[in-house]
Formats: sequence, structure tokens, C-alpha cells
Amino acid sequence: MVKERPKGQIGRGFRIGKLGLALTGSYLGYQFQNLFLNEQERPERRKSFNRKAAGQIRAELESLKGPVMKLGQILSTQFHFMPEETLTELAKLQMRAPAMHATLAQAQFKASFGKFPEEVFRSFTEEPFAAASLGQVHRAVTKHGQEVAVKIQYPAIRKAIEDDFKLLRSATLPVRVTGHATESMIAEIEGGMLQETDYVNEGQNIDFFREQLKPLNYVRVPVVHWDLSTDRILTMSFVAGEPLLDFIASQKPSQEMRNRIGVQLVEMFSLQIHRLRALHADPHPGNYLIETNGTIGLVDFGCVKKFSAGFIEIMRAFEERVWLRGEEQCRRMAGLIWGGGVLKKPRLALELLKGAINFYEMLFPGLKGGGRVVDFGDAKILNAMFQILNDNVRNKMVNPEFAFYARAEMGLYNLLHLLRAKIDTSSILEKFGGSDE
Amino acid sequence: MATRQRRAKGVSPKAARLGKRAQNKERTKKEILRAALELFSKKGFFPTTTKQISTRARIAEGTLFNYFKTKEDLALYFFEQELAGLTEWYRSQTKLQRSSLAEKLFAIIHRHLERISPYEEFIGAVYLRALQPVSKLNLLSLETQELNVRYLRFIQEVLREAEEEGEIPRVGDFGAYAFGLFHLAIISYWLQDGSPGKENTLALLDRSLKVANSVLRKGTWEW
Repeated sequence: MVKERPKGQIGRGFRIGKLGLALTGSYLGYQFQNLFLNEQERPERRKSFNRKAAGQIRAELESLKGPVMKLGQILSTQFHFMPEETLTELAKLQMRAPAMHATLAQAQFKASFGKFPEEVFRSFTEEPFAAASLGQVHRAVTKHGQEVAVKIQYPAIRKAIEDDFKLLRSATLPVRVTGHATESMIAEIEGGMLQETDYVNEGQNIDFFREQLKPLNYVRVPVVHWDLSTDRILTMSFVAGEPLLDFIASQKPSQEMRNRIGVQLVEMFSLQIHRLRALHADPHPGNYLIETNGTIGLVDFGCVKKFSAGFIEIMRAFEERVWLRGEEQCRRMAGLIWGGGVLKKPRLALELLKGAINFYEMLFPGLKGGGRVVDFGDAKILNAMFQILNDNVRNKMVNPEFAFYARAEMGLYNLLHLLRAKIDTSSILEKFGGSDE
Repeated sequence: MATRQRRAKGVSPKAARLGKRAQNKERTKKEILRAALELFSKKGFFPTTTKQISTRARIAEGTLFNYFKTKEDLALYFFEQELAGLTEWYRSQTKLQRSSLAEKLFAIIHRHLERISPYEEFIGAVYLRALQPVSKLNLLSLETQELNVRYLRFIQEVLREAEEEGEIPRVGDFGAYAFGLFHLAIISYWLQDGSPGKENTLALLDRSLKVANSVLRKGTWEW
């Protein structure tokens, strides 16, 4: 009897994934197996995945966390080709990061800083108070009596990410052949994740944003204690406030307060895009700490995107609504967004561009004289954005620079949706857009 | 009982003399070890001569031989001291005693690595030497058996706590043996770990213990 083998590229991808799983002990392989199962197998597989694995797989994933979680987080906001059940599981992951036990956290602190936390701080709380996806955060008091948050990275996470991406590159071969996940997109995500493992870089981001966000007096950015930080340990002043979801649940803010926080979030986003040309691109609701007066504490600056001149030009093209100036401008815009190749398929280019423009006008109805207030409580904005991403990925039209931008933008709309905020977006755009020229 | 107490109190002058002599002997041994370790970490295990050790410990070379016949005996004594120190440390950690088994075992190996990290070169040399069948440091030599048993009993004690609390199923002596081999494997990994702060060892240690723990809890190898 001939042993049945998985067929074709999909089967190969499946086996490579499995092999990689066995070799590296990474659970990423398991996640990606789901992508390569054919349609008939998938529902069966999903059911058993959900039934057996709901608790178990998550617990085990959590024990490995790091890259898997982080990638899951990105994939769950970015790539629409994941089965929904997997997305759901991954979404839970990003919310519930596991803890390094006290001994490991202290050992890792020593490994990176050269001393144990108890030698360095007046007091150090062994229990972490927040999970960062590549590590966890502990409260401490410095020898000078300042309250700080100490972020400790899970050991050897950088190597784990590199290993997982090696696996990802072999496992997603079928996906890449069909063009759904391009090498440049994978490289963009890997680069972003590796950057997040460097806490010195994150500390510099914090310094940059604290300075640059000063015009917005409702934003609170921590202060880095450089003398108590390394590339794997980041000590910063403690930022008060409740994570956005907790704030909504516990304070039951009025519509006015919801709108105010929403406006602030959009202003923050606009200032970053239009003035700083850089974006705090981690849209996790836990990264926004709200105080009862509505001010926003911003934490976790590991994922910061600095935009290229080309990207800025795209933004300006949208603002100036260049599509109104005729076909030539539309072609130029499509070329900017999707690269020169898109012009070989003019009809597709036009269709995608139309989708993007419609979405833009949905976000800023005031620009073309419509009602000015957008109700983000209505899910249609999130759905429209999903649709656009989906169309782009399906048509193999993805600008890698958008990977991080879209992740952040989607995150913002998600926050506004959770807030059920009603916002005059056009006024904010008028206030921040293009005004520095 | 009362008689025994009285005897313990009223120690004969001869016994007192003997006790004092034993104490002095132990102090000298420790002094020699301290001197030797300094030299080992400065010059290396193999190049260091017994003459250099005795000079540094300020004793005659002949006296050194009364205590340690070879450098291997010295190494064995070092490991005995380390094990005693490690056991004593573990028993003093009241907070750790309430932690999970995985954390306890992690802490034991990590503490051990922390203790021996100033003597990394020396440990590496001892590892190489221990591979030779004729070496006293060989895991199977009679000289190391006493130390092995003491170590196994210590680990058994830690595992038994977890067994009694129902944290893991009964693993018996096998568990202690298996952990001992794992401990040795981690030390060899640690010796060649070139990652910053040897953090790869921490990750390996944490991940392996979590997998082992999950296997033990489920009582199956399918995890």
C-alpha cells in the first residue's frame, strides 16, 4: 500500500511547516499549517482545533509567546488570509501574555544588566503588572525614590524571531508563489519585529515622541532612565491610567468624554503622520492609558514607523484629492501606491484606487462638503477597511510600507469603534494636514 | 535522651581537641581551594602547578599533598562545597519553596550557574578531564559516587515535595537521575553559550522545563 502523501505545493508547505515545527520547537509552524490545509480539510480541522485546542494550544503558545504572539498580533490586524478561528485564537494571545516567573525575570535582568534587580532598585515587584508582547513590565522604585516601570525582555527572543522567520520563509513558499505574501512584505515585518527587540531603539523613540508630542498637552509620554536600561531592559517613569478597554468598562464615560478621547486619538495620529512623518504603530488598546480627566498616557514605543518621502507624497495626493484633476494624476497616484507594475493592469488599478478614494471620503466626508461628523460606533468603517486590505492582498497589490501603516490605522479605527466616538475628522485633517509646508 | 544531652555538653578534652583539629583542617582545605580557584581563573586549570597553589595558600607543598593528592581531588572538593552551598541556599529560600516545580528547578540550576560563573574556565577544564575514563572526576568513578548520591537525594527531596502536593505524578529515582543528566547538559550548553549574558541558556532552560513539566502533568509524551 502506498502511503498517502500530501499533494502539491500546499502539501509541501504543510510538511515543511511540520518539519520546521519539529526542528525548532516553534509553534508558529502549527499556526501556519492551517493556512495550507485545503478547503475540505479546513472545516474539520477548525472544529477540532477549536474543540481541543482552545485552552491547551493557547496555554502552550503562551509559554513560548514572543515571536508567535507578536506575529499573530500583526497578522490578526494586517493579513486577511488567516482563517477566522485562528485569528480569534491569536487575538486572545495578544491580550493575555504569560509571565516569566519571578526567578526567570530576575535572571534575565541580571544577564542583561549585570546585577539583580534587588541590588539596583529600592524595591522591585516580582509580579509583572503588564505584559509586553516581547517581555513583561514590572513596577519598581529607584534608589532615589522614583516610581518606574521596568520592561524586561524574554531571553533570546531575537534569535527566536530569526528562527521563526526562517521557518516562515520556507513554510509560506506556496503563499509566496501565488503572491499573497511577498518577500518584501515578510522582510518589512521581520525588520519591524527585530527592531522591537532593541530596547535602546525604543528608548530613543520615547525621547523623540516625548519631545515631538509636546504640542498636545493631553498626551503623557514616559521618561527613560537610561542609567537603568540596556538593549533588553527598559526602565522608564511610571505612566498612570487605565488601559482603554478597562477605562470604558470601569468609568462608563459619557458620550462627550468618549468623543473627546476619540478626537485626541485622531489628533495624535494626524500630528504623527503629517508633522512627524513617524508613527507609534502599535495599536494595541493596552498601550493607551487613560486617566479620569481624559488625558492619554502613551506606552510601548517598540514599533515605530518612519515614513519614506514616497509615502508622504501618497498622503499628500489624498489630501489634495488629486484624482479630481484627471486621469493622469490618478495613474500617478496608483503608481505611487502600488508601484509601476500596476499600470500594466489599468482596470485593476482604477478599481483599487476607486476603493481607496471611497474609503478616504468615508473617513473625511467634510472634505467634499458632506456632514462632518463620523460615527465610529458604526462598524462600516472597519468593515470597509478590511474589504480594501482583502482586495489588495487578493490582487497581490500590497505596498510593504503600508504593512505597518495599515496596522496602525486599523488599530486606531478599532479604538474609535470601541469608544463609539463621533468625530469631526475633516476639521482635524484641516488642522494638521499639510500645514507645515 | 537526658544522658545523650549530658554527654554532648560534657565533651572530653580529647574529643574537643579532635573537634578543633577537624575544624582547622577544614579551614585549611578551604583556604587551599580559595587560592587554587584564584589561580585557576587567572592562569587556567591545567597550567597551574601544585607549587603555585601551595605558595599562594602559604603552606608547604608537602602539606598540600596531605590534603589533596591531585588537582582532581581539589576539583572534587570544589564540587562538594558547591553542592553544600546550593542545598543550603535552596533550603533558606522560603518564598521559592512555595513556587512551581518548574521555577524551583530553574532556580536551582540558575543559582548553580551563577555560583560557578567566576570559574568558567576551570569548570570547562574539569568537564574535559571528566570525559577521560581513568579520571577521578568521571561521573562513573567511585570517587564521584558519594557526591552523586548527595546530589540525587537533594533533587529527590525537591521532586518529592511536588509529588506530595500532587503537582506531578510519582517520578521516583528516575526523575532525579533524569534531572541530573539535564543539569549536566545545561552546564555544557552554558559553557559554550556565546550569547550576551548567556541568555540563550536561560531560554533553553525555561523552555525545556516548561515542556518537561507539561509532559509530566499530562502523563503523556504528546504535548
